[in-house]
Amino acid sequence: MDCLEFRRILAATPRAQDPAMGAHRNACPACQSAWEQAQRFEDELLGALQVPVPEGLTERILLAQTTGRRQRSARGRRGLLALAASLLVALGLGAATWQQIDARSLPALAVAHMPPEISSLALTQPISAQAVANGFAGRNLPLPGPVPAGTTYVHDCMVGPYPAVHMVTRRDGEPVVVLYLPDKRVARARNFARHGWVGREMPLDRGSLVLLTNGGNRAPFHAVASAWRQAIEGTHLSFVHEPLAP
Amino acid sequence: MNARQHQFEALARAHAADLFRFAWWLCGQEALAQDLVQETMLRAWKNLDSLRDAAAAKPWLLTILRREHARLYERKRLDLVELDDNVAEPAAWADPERQGSTAEIRRAMWKLPKKYREPLLLQTLGGFSCEEIAAELGSKPGAVMTQLFRARQQLKALLEEGNGREVVHGLS
Repeated sequence: MDCLEFRRILAATPRAQDPAMGAHRNACPACQSAWEQAQRFEDELLGALQVPVPEGLTERILLAQTTGRRQRSARGRRGLLALAASLLVALGLGAATWQQIDARSLPALAVAHMPPEISSLALTQPISAQAVANGFAGRNLPLPGPVPAGTTYVHDCMVGPYPAVHMVTRRDGEPVVVLYLPDKRVARARNFARHGWVGREMPLDRGSLVLLTNGGNRAPFHAVASAWRQAIEGTHLSFVHEPLAP
Repeated sequence: MNARQHQFEALARAHAADLFRFAWWLCGQEALAQDLVQETMLRAWKNLDSLRDAAAAKPWLLTILRREHARLYERKRLDLVELDDNVAEPAAWADPERQGSTAEIRRAMWKLPKKYREPLLLQTLGGFSCEEIAAELGSKPGAVMTQLFRARQQLKALLEEGNGREVVHGLS
């Protein structure tokens, strides 16, 4: 290293610990003197840059940090509580909405219709085809097909808001409730069970049928539904039955 | 106290003073410098997991501080303040300790263009090498060497020059 190089580095980085600079200083008194002068200037410069630090700065930093952390934790806890409360409210609203929707469903309306009509299940004597036709006529409904055998009851009722014809048809000694709702058509056949009743709702060309048995099973549903469909729609000898578990 | 909190406290105790001095030389205002240090340390707390090497702590903190200062500048667009003889000096400057060469050097420092003052501060207060300064400022080590050389040359020239009308900082 020559003097020029030494002075160039010294001017830019006076605190450099380069061994080559150390060796040059030892060999060059002028550069050693320049180095010492540079160190004095650096000491003065560093001293001048060391402005007084406000008292308690570190403590204020730590206080701000811990306070901020606690505030964030509290905000986090409050946020979690708010989220939980929102979820509960949402669940409550969801449950209430679901109850509202469910209460207006055809199965719910059909089952709710049954208690005042429960005595109809006890009838065992078949009624005449004319009596059944009269029941349909009460709703201004034709009955073009044959009345299913074993029909023991017919009445024009309201099922919820829907006009209906309420029949009971016995199969193998068991009464099957058949509700025909000409103004309400469900989208697809569906089994249901609620409050001790097992049932099935199914669409017709016009309106729907709902079949119910009280604590029984769905085994007679297919035959009873086929018979009533033929009676109501007339031209059908059978219908495509959507596969459903009995 | 958990390890993270312990680490943060150690950082604050070790570097708060240096951070404050650096901040002061960036903005020239004690209250603002304290705010900058607070913001820097809070940001450091949030990102503490990214600090792996204790030796890198000071450059890491100074980098955060510079960014916070730049953000402040972007937000506030603080103007240069021209200080003439009729404007009262900040209390810190009235300190008798500031008289003599220390005060002269400080005055001269504020007269340095920012492009010279900042690398000089990073080197002298921050302990950065030329390579580190270059990385921090997005420059090249050779260019930083030149800036440091010229910074000292101008500083010495200013000190020899003596008194004159001074432009003091704010954020320059």
